[in-house]
Amino acid sequence: MKKEKKIYEDLTPIQNKAQITFILVGTIFLFLLFFFWKIQILDHNKFWRQSEANRIREIILPPQRGLIEDRNGIILATNIASFQISIIRENCQDIEQSYQKISRLLGLELSVLRERIEKYKFLPMFQPIVIMDNLDVNEVSRVKARQAEFPELIIQSEPKRNYPYEALAAHVLGYLQEISQEEIRQSISQRRPGDLVGKTGIEKEYESLLVGKEGRVLEIADSLGRRVGEISRVGSYPGRDIRLTLDFALQRKAEELLEGREGAVVVLDPRTGEILALASFPTFDPNKFISRFSPEEWLNLLRDPDFPLENRAIRGLYAPGSIFKLAMSLGVLDSQVVSEWKTYYCTGSTRIYGHPFACWFKGGHGSVNLINGIKNSCNIYFYQVGKLMGIEEIAKYARMLGLGSLTGIDLPGEKEGLVPDPDWKRKVRNEPWYPGETISVSIGQGPIQVTPLQIAAYTALFANRGKSVSPYLYKNKSVPTSEGQADIQESIFEKVITGMWKSANEGGTGRAASVQGFDVCSKTGSTQVVSTATAKKLGEREKIIKTHSWFTGFAPRENPEIVVTIIVEYGGMGGATAAPLAGEIFRLYRENHDR
Amino acid sequence: MIDRNQVRNIDWVLIGLLILNSVIGIAFIHSSSHYLPGNHALKQFFWLLAALIALFVFLSVNYTILIAYSLYFYSITIIILSGILLFGRLTAGTKSWIVLPFFRIQPSEITKIAVILVLAHMFSTYRKGSLSIGHGVLSILIVGIPVLLVGLQPDLGTALTYIPILLAVFVMVGLKRRTIIIFVILALLLGIVGWSAVLKDYQKERITTLLTPEKDPLGSGYQTIQSKIAIGSGGFLGKGYKKGTQSQLRFLPARHTDFIFSVIGEEFGFIGVIVTFLLYFLFLARLFQSVSKSRDRAGAFIIYMVAGMIAFQFFVNVFMTIGLFPIAGVPLPLFSYGGSSLLTNFLAVSLVINVSMRRFVNV
Repeated sequence: MKKEKKIYEDLTPIQNKAQITFILVGTIFLFLLFFFWKIQILDHNKFWRQSEANRIREIILPPQRGLIEDRNGIILATNIASFQISIIRENCQDIEQSYQKISRLLGLELSVLRERIEKYKFLPMFQPIVIMDNLDVNEVSRVKARQAEFPELIIQSEPKRNYPYEALAAHVLGYLQEISQEEIRQSISQRRPGDLVGKTGIEKEYESLLVGKEGRVLEIADSLGRRVGEISRVGSYPGRDIRLTLDFALQRKAEELLEGREGAVVVLDPRTGEILALASFPTFDPNKFISRFSPEEWLNLLRDPDFPLENRAIRGLYAPGSIFKLAMSLGVLDSQVVSEWKTYYCTGSTRIYGHPFACWFKGGHGSVNLINGIKNSCNIYFYQVGKLMGIEEIAKYARMLGLGSLTGIDLPGEKEGLVPDPDWKRKVRNEPWYPGETISVSIGQGPIQVTPLQIAAYTALFANRGKSVSPYLYKNKSVPTSEGQADIQESIFEKVITGMWKSANEGGTGRAASVQGFDVCSKTGSTQVVSTATAKKLGEREKIIKTHSWFTGFAPRENPEIVVTIIVEYGGMGGATAAPLAGEIFRLYRENHDR
Repeated sequence: MIDRNQVRNIDWVLIGLLILNSVIGIAFIHSSSHYLPGNHALKQFFWLLAALIALFVFLSVNYTILIAYSLYFYSITIIILSGILLFGRLTAGTKSWIVLPFFRIQPSEITKIAVILVLAHMFSTYRKGSLSIGHGVLSILIVGIPVLLVGLQPDLGTALTYIPILLAVFVMVGLKRRTIIIFVILALLLGIVGWSAVLKDYQKERITTLLTPEKDPLGSGYQTIQSKIAIGSGGFLGKGYKKGTQSQLRFLPARHTDFIFSVIGEEFGFIGVIVTFLLYFLFLARLFQSVSKSRDRAGAFIIYMVAGMIAFQFFVNVFMTIGLFPIAGVPLPLFSYGGSSLLTNFLAVSLVINVSMRRFVNV
């Protein structure tokens, strides 16, 4: 024993320290056990959900948007394949580095890219953000070839809206643009940032029919965004095709006629209210800005002083001018302020309430009754009857004929115009009605405002001898169009129509619109854009240049089939500018329907 | 050199636990890397065989001889560490590897064995009740030089694993209260200087995200969050072997290396965690018990240093997987993929057995 003690030194203190250390180790184990119990048992549900969310990815399958066709099945809006490139931020190793590499790869400016992504930074990191779209196969293949270097980029194909006839009927069809935050909030069906939606025209009006239902694929993805498997798949459902009442040939003709001018053409079928053509000029090619981004073309259109994006046919507000004389005539006959044979003598000008009022024909029309008043569009005659009727009566008949209220066409943004009366003036301008204003309104001048579409519907009411129709564009619209009947004798309409017929066929102002054997009935108008006083200062020539040129008419006289309304801004006299254009449309219609 | 008595005294239980833990490790290496190129599990298995052979070869040499030659070992390893720092090529951002034709090794791991032996040598004849200044400075230098060299690679994680060796020595020798105070102040100063001058940005980030991992879920916090999701989603029973979505779908980073414990937690749940803890607890218990099986001071020091080193690494790694420690790149001893680490741990345990099997030998 003694020997052993010499060899083995006493290590008890060291051993004790080891024991204490080991107790410490055991304590840490217990602490850890408690900690894992908390994470794995108490917080299990939370982490379980997070791990599920980690691996499941939702892919949206965009639906095919419904086609838009003319009444004969000619396709006006279709879809073609295009590609888009999106970024999944979650897969970026280093966001900044990624931006720079992508910017180089795609030739996209860094600031543009950053701005683009910034706009959608509230989206979850795994959700793709579109950074380029409208790409064709060649552009995409370059990116595809280097896909391995860019796990954060994904290429998706999407159907892209295409308008094969470019600007044709652009104002009717409308266009698509990226959905706004506001629209997302308002939408009933689930729409997401980045979706394209109809912003105007049929594309907007029938968005819910056209859009279809998107499909969804739930797939399992690994942390690099690579697809590992699929959980479920619901295919997309294409949108409904929409057949319009538009007639391709008439629409194209209408636009050809307006080429180089500013104005609008409305052609409709008075029997049903079907719109056969609805053109507005200047126009635009919607193909050029179907994009999530705002290219130069779009900004140029917005800046253009001629407002090419405005649909003048339903949103342009004009004084109706002499076209309003049809409403006046109806009022004269119905209210019997004077008989249809009562004549007034036109010397080219007159004084009423101490103010001079002129006829457009300086030489004067001589003795004028109602029918001739319509045929020659004599101002003096209508000044006199207007004075007798008074503004309240005039407004009553104007409203009865649909002026001052929406026609109800299935296009967004229609304007209702204005039929003025003393009440309106008090409320809006806080001024009394001046008797002289009644005289101006009698020939469709002054504060009265109408849209070309309203005039077309108003003309249809005359053509139908009092039966009103509401114009529409969607051929298969299930809701019946509302029809009304003005409470005025048919014989009264016949008398006004006689005047209209003479206007076109017996050397009246609408003669340039007549078509051999098609019994066109018409009324022209030339509305002053500047006041008479200003016009005097500018001189005779300027005055002609500064009038809008109106035409409205229907054909044939019995059982009318077509109404044509045209306005050419700053076009001069209605009979000289608008009427010949209308003649071409009547002629084309007749050619196409006599075969 | 080796007689029958000594063979009978080999701690087979310890070797059994060593192998058992390593084999479980290989199973999880397989689970978390079978879809990756290069058969990691098979490679690790070969490393295990090699490490086992090395263990027995190492046993045949009396540890007193190893201690006697320790300064040479130490010098050689320091030269190698300096060499790769000067001439080595960057691999994965650090210069920690010697790349050989069929495998590569991390000298920074093996160096720990030399450090342990040198310290054992130094204190084998030290008889004072507490650490003298001279010995204190010397032992700090012995550990500090390789720590500095490894830290410069830069491999902060491995450098960190040298610290428990030094602490173990201090505890064994004993410190005066005054010395402890001086050390605490020094450590604080070092921390401040290190934070502002030495630590690289990404290293600082790892420490700050420890406090708020959710602040930057895709940056430094990502790994911690994904690891916690893996462990937490495992629940009580786990998702099943090779069925952990966090691991299989690669949301979990460094699955077969630093985060292998998260894979265990995900695929075998709380039960798996308890079993692993139990096995490790037994293993560490066996190591600490071995301290009393040493017949001399040097042997006890060796065993204590080895036990401390492995326990420290184990806890740092597990703490890291649940976000209680910054992501430091410290592998889970015996479990994580990596030959150098496995070999080093086997050699370290080999030293422990070397000491305990020779406890009855007369000098």
